[in-house]
Amino acid sequence: MDSKKAAQVIVQGLKKAGIDFVATLPDLKVVEVIGAVDGDPEIKHVPLCREEEGVGICAGAYLTGKKTALLMQNGVLLNSCNGLTTTCLQFQIPILLLVYYAGDFGDRGFTTVGSVTEPVLQGLGIRTYVLRKTEEVEEALRGAQILAEDSRRPVAVLLTKSVLGVK
Amino acid sequence: MQRYDYLKTIVGDVGDALVVSAGLAAREWQALRPGDGNFRPRTLGLASSIALGIALGLPRRKVMAIDGDGAFLMNLCGLPTIAWQNPPNLIHLLFDNQCYEASGATVTATVSGTDAVALAKGAGYRHACWVKNPQEFREEFLKAWKRGELGLIAAKVEPGQPELPPIRVDEVENKYRFIRHIEATEKRSILSPADHRPSS
Repeated sequence: MDSKKAAQVIVQGLKKAGIDFVATLPDLKVVEVIGAVDGDPEIKHVPLCREEEGVGICAGAYLTGKKTALLMQNGVLLNSCNGLTTTCLQFQIPILLLVYYAGDFGDRGFTTVGSVTEPVLQGLGIRTYVLRKTEEVEEALRGAQILAEDSRRPVAVLLTKSVLGVK
Repeated sequence: MQRYDYLKTIVGDVGDALVVSAGLAAREWQALRPGDGNFRPRTLGLASSIALGIALGLPRRKVMAIDGDGAFLMNLCGLPTIAWQNPPNLIHLLFDNQCYEASGATVTATVSGTDAVALAKGAGYRHACWVKNPQEFREEFLKAWKRGELGLIAAKVEPGQPELPPIRVDEVENKYRFIRHIEATEKRSILSPADHRPSS
């Protein structure tokens, strides 16, 4: 599957999960997903300058009834740890974290950030699903959003290259 | 003049605006305008971003963010995002006491001349101004309120606050009360039935 089609599958999956508010920060590997989010009239898209502000924006939108997701790369996920802890966890506010998994098995150049990603999420107590197959996208996103809402915590879905249709 | 002297001038004007403020200002605002429409974040810097999320979610409701200089400087990257979204229902207030007052009063960069209004304008805020005293503050606030466009109003203030009652609501209760307040005043359902289940 090419990256355009993969992006459509992911955005359709987000919509089926009820997501209607997405804040994003680009990575080369998620450009198509951001484009698909931006072009969808049913989703409010907020482009960010840095990730932690996205935690605040999504938290504020959640308070008004929005179902929120934050799309970013894992390196910059690390920038948002304080916000995730002292806003999301402390106030029990869910966000669906869609995180491109740089430095995953088979990736080159980002192994340092790849190696700390899952341990950091685990340390924060954020449950995490590594999404590798396109056919799992819809179910995984729906399940993650249900889990986030029900636990009132952020839940992370790590997007791998295979599921993004990129090399 | 302290922040409290400024804030008290607008209490009668804000109606049922939703207000986001952290730190010492949160306690002052809660004392001046008690109620559940006040959200008190714990992440330094995120008040303005949370207020943006609220303003985008409720575009017909007035929203205010009350920042200090320490928080403002910590979330500078949030300013272009706010300006880009340009929510007409958001007013951003900044009280610059030139120190991290709640964290031991160490000075911030504004002591060296960093200009918060210039930063906001540079980020894309069309309306941003300094005011010199509480009367001027109220005048500018009323103008911004009527104008119905994103704006920042900033004042240099002395550190310190009067004796105030403590806030007896923790973060989770603050969240629930704030959401319930929005549900009641906006006549919309926000929390799903799953949020009403007893914990087990």
